[in-house]
Amino acid sequence: MPGADKETDLTERIEAFLADLKRGGSGTGPLRGSGEMARETTYLLRRITAQARWSSAGDLMEIIRNEGRRMTAAQPSETTVGNMVRRVLKIIREEYARSRGSSEETEQQESLHKLLTAGELSEETFREHFVHLKANVIEAINELLTELDGTTDNIAMQALEHIHSNEVIMTVGRSRTVEAFLKDAARKRKFHVIVAECAPFCQGHEMATGLSKVGIETTVIADAAIFAVMSRVNKVIIGTQTVLANGGLRAVNGTHSVALAARHHSTPLIICAPMFKLSPQFPNEEDTFHKFVSPHEVLPFTAGEILSKVNVHCPVFDYVPPELITLFISNIGGNAPSYIYRLMSELYHPEDHKL
Amino acid sequence: ANRGGKQKKGNVTSEQEEEEQPLQAVLVADSFNRRFFPISKDQPRALLPLGNVAMIDYTLEFLTSTGVQETFVFCCWMSNKIKDHLLKSKWCRPTSPNVVHIITSDLYRSLGDVLRDVDAKNLVRNDFILVYGDVVSNIDVSQALQEHRHRRKVDKNISVMTMVFKESSPGHKSRCEEDDVIVAMDSKSKRVLHYQKTQGLKKLQFPMNIFQHGSDEFEIRHDLLDCHISICSPQVAELFTDNFDYQTRNDFVRGILVNEEILGNQIHLYVTQDGYGARVSNLQMYDSVSSDMVRRWVYPLTPEANFTDQQGQGCTHSRHNVYRGAEVSLGHGSQMEENVLIGRDTSIGANCHISNSVIGNNCTIGDNVVLDRAHMWNNVHISSNVEIHQSVVCDGAVVKEAVRLNKQCVLAYNVVIGPNLSLPEGTVVSMHHPEEEEEDDDDEFLSDDQEVGHTFNPAEVGPEGKGYIWKASMNDTEDEELAQCLWGRPLSKQNVCKVVSFQLEVLGTLQRGLEENIVCDNLVLEINSLKYAYNITLKEVMQILTRVVLEYPFQQQGTQLTTLQYTGSLLPLLKTWSPVFKNYIKRAQDHLDCLSAVEELFLEQDTHQTAMVKVLMKMYQLEILEEEAILKWFSTGATNDKSRQLRKNQGLQKFIQWLKEAEDESSEEGE
Repeated sequence: MPGADKETDLTERIEAFLADLKRGGSGTGPLRGSGEMARETTYLLRRITAQARWSSAGDLMEIIRNEGRRMTAAQPSETTVGNMVRRVLKIIREEYARSRGSSEETEQQESLHKLLTAGELSEETFREHFVHLKANVIEAINELLTELDGTTDNIAMQALEHIHSNEVIMTVGRSRTVEAFLKDAARKRKFHVIVAECAPFCQGHEMATGLSKVGIETTVIADAAIFAVMSRVNKVIIGTQTVLANGGLRAVNGTHSVALAARHHSTPLIICAPMFKLSPQFPNEEDTFHKFVSPHEVLPFTAGEILSKVNVHCPVFDYVPPELITLFISNIGGNAPSYIYRLMSELYHPEDHKL
Repeated sequence: ANRGGKQKKGNVTSEQEEEEQPLQAVLVADSFNRRFFPISKDQPRALLPLGNVAMIDYTLEFLTSTGVQETFVFCCWMSNKIKDHLLKSKWCRPTSPNVVHIITSDLYRSLGDVLRDVDAKNLVRNDFILVYGDVVSNIDVSQALQEHRHRRKVDKNISVMTMVFKESSPGHKSRCEEDDVIVAMDSKSKRVLHYQKTQGLKKLQFPMNIFQHGSDEFEIRHDLLDCHISICSPQVAELFTDNFDYQTRNDFVRGILVNEEILGNQIHLYVTQDGYGARVSNLQMYDSVSSDMVRRWVYPLTPEANFTDQQGQGCTHSRHNVYRGAEVSLGHGSQMEENVLIGRDTSIGANCHISNSVIGNNCTIGDNVVLDRAHMWNNVHISSNVEIHQSVVCDGAVVKEAVRLNKQCVLAYNVVIGPNLSLPEGTVVSMHHPEEEEEDDDDEFLSDDQEVGHTFNPAEVGPEGKGYIWKASMNDTEDEELAQCLWGRPLSKQNVCKVVSFQLEVLGTLQRGLEENIVCDNLVLEINSLKYAYNITLKEVMQILTRVVLEYPFQQQGTQLTTLQYTGSLLPLLKTWSPVFKNYIKRAQDHLDCLSAVEELFLEQDTHQTAMVKVLMKMYQLEILEEEAILKWFSTGATNDKSRQLRKNQGLQKFIQWLKEAEDESSEEGE
């Protein structure tokens, strides 16, 4: 039975992806960049759309929601996965609405006025069957994939607007987006980059080697020197792991101190973050917010006897409140933190915020 | 002894094999020892929960995450339970990337049997990973595997095994004494030259020849923790078949190293710095691995990851490493201080203090309970006002009001304790009677009426208690060994045992020598062979010999001897055995050691102290001891009050005086 074969193949792939997610991150953050993670999730969702058994948009959404729930549970800190699931759900909604001939826009917002006048919530069932829905959804997902492929380039393209000649830029840790951003600017302009090493994983070292290879003048500093060096810095440009719904960040450990130092010296703090990092999560959901990895990097296992007498923790992420952030640069342009809510509502359907 | 055996047939086949062969693993889900007795009487060790997940699941997850695609699980003890568990788990789902085959047999008695079966059934085709079912690890062995394969390619299958070690300095709590190894290695090729368990020895010897060939850089390392993960070539299984006396991996490693010249096989090691790997070989290790896991050393194998993918097993992680499962209720004023893992549906009463503990599913805990380093498995009931310190409470156990479990207690399955009782340190309580154990071995059909013979002792387990204390029903030495077995404390004890049994053997030899009139030379020969058999140092031999001889009259005629009778029977003996003494007592230090042994004995037998002079006199006359040695001993040997008291003995004083005079005379004569 080829159908059954397909299905086991699909479940096998999903299981493999889940197992990968669970093992993901040996401490230095995800093994793959979040961009790759987003792409892989979308590929998998496209495969589910193509191969799973479903007859109506409602079924498909249920399937995707279920799988999405499992994926996010497997690695709660990897928010990109959930974001991509939400994006695909939104695509299905839109395609369904288009097939029905109504525009999604009109139904999207539940306003107080509408709640009062409608009497009861208009429950959309998504039960109608459309022949072309599958092809349309896959087409739309393909578009999403193209968008994902271009994000880093789109962000890097804006570099010249933000980086000027002879500026001193500070960054922290390693972010592929920031690296591309700086490299792009370096093709035309000359500037100096100071990289905070970001202990204990010291991804900053990697970043500095990458930058110096293309001829950017680079200095690595210890995290403790951030405040001291900040007075010389013109701009702080950093990446992030997630942009939260309130415009805050969940970024690598040490970012908060950079942000505070920047605020103290009135240095602008610019965040390079592609749209797929935008998550409808708020910072108060404490359980999944933090990620603690093996304390090995902080106090090595070889330290011996002392380990039984102390508690060692090694958190990975920092929360950076939105008021410390000057500007977000995403693949669709620059935005202020206060505008995040609007982007959020454009990207995701409010009913999908909680999978 | 090792037979050179048949030619390596693996040579031809393994060269033809390509790298794309799926990686295989052999998982031994049996420990072949009784370290977890009596807990393992009800549940095989591989299924004991560690952080509320069966230990075998950690091992399988470790194998799967390193890319193993086919695992053979070998079970013996309670194989049905292991099989049931695995069939229900995610490993046997059709989508699992790691195909698990379960092979059971009651005939496996050791690791050697398992590997011989692997060879007989021709299960492995390529290099495989060998682990036990109680290894917890997150080491990525792919690097080690690559090195191993490279070596095999370059050196034409000379290297048969790569052992994985983790760097951890001595004194680390995850290093247990019995697994303490010292390894001599070639630092360039990473070849193992010498491998020895330290067993609490202070002095270690390395054969010189290991340093004479090969490269000029060697390392002798004591900072390695044996992870019990080894990458083996198919030859390993063959070598086990060839050498039917190999029982454990230790035998194998030693055999290979000793016979390296003959067989041309080598063993290498791989040392990892990051990553975690340890084998839960006893309860002390259980305690430390469990706490390492809760403290996230084994990340990403953390409790909240729910890697076994079981419904409802998930839990949340919050600060201070507090993990809570679903539906956990916590009473008013209760505190979970740090490093606490609480399973699903567990309810905890008011004003409890919980720290560094793991609590299983479906437990109920009363008010005012203090738990520190407690390991509680599923369905445990704890009443109010209970205190538990560093103890293991197994499934279904009930602890009644106001019970206090001191350190290192073990309550096995379904035991009831209390109320109002304090269990002393190291108590082990089980529903199985300790004597039942031996009966069990001979006779599998243990009938119930045999058990009726034993009744619960309310003084031991409390008025409402159910269970037998494993301590009280055994004599002293055995009980301590048992507690030690479970908790695995330092092994100096075994050393003492060795000495004691050596002493008994020496006594037997001398006795026989006396009865059968054996020549002293032959006695010396026999004692020498015993010395090697028990690995006893020369100094100890001498001390033991002295002791045995001096105690001989007591042994033969009871301890009620008068001093006169004692010396009467001892002095002829000394005369008969003087050649034996002379053989061992040669250097000046030997004399002092012998004297201190004599002193030690007479300090114990303080009623016979007057006999000491006569003994010394006789030994002097027989030329066993020299006068300078005696004088030196007398003047310097006193270390504590008792021995000082001893030296004030009038007879002794006179003897020394006489010796001194004799010396003066002889020296005068000399002039």
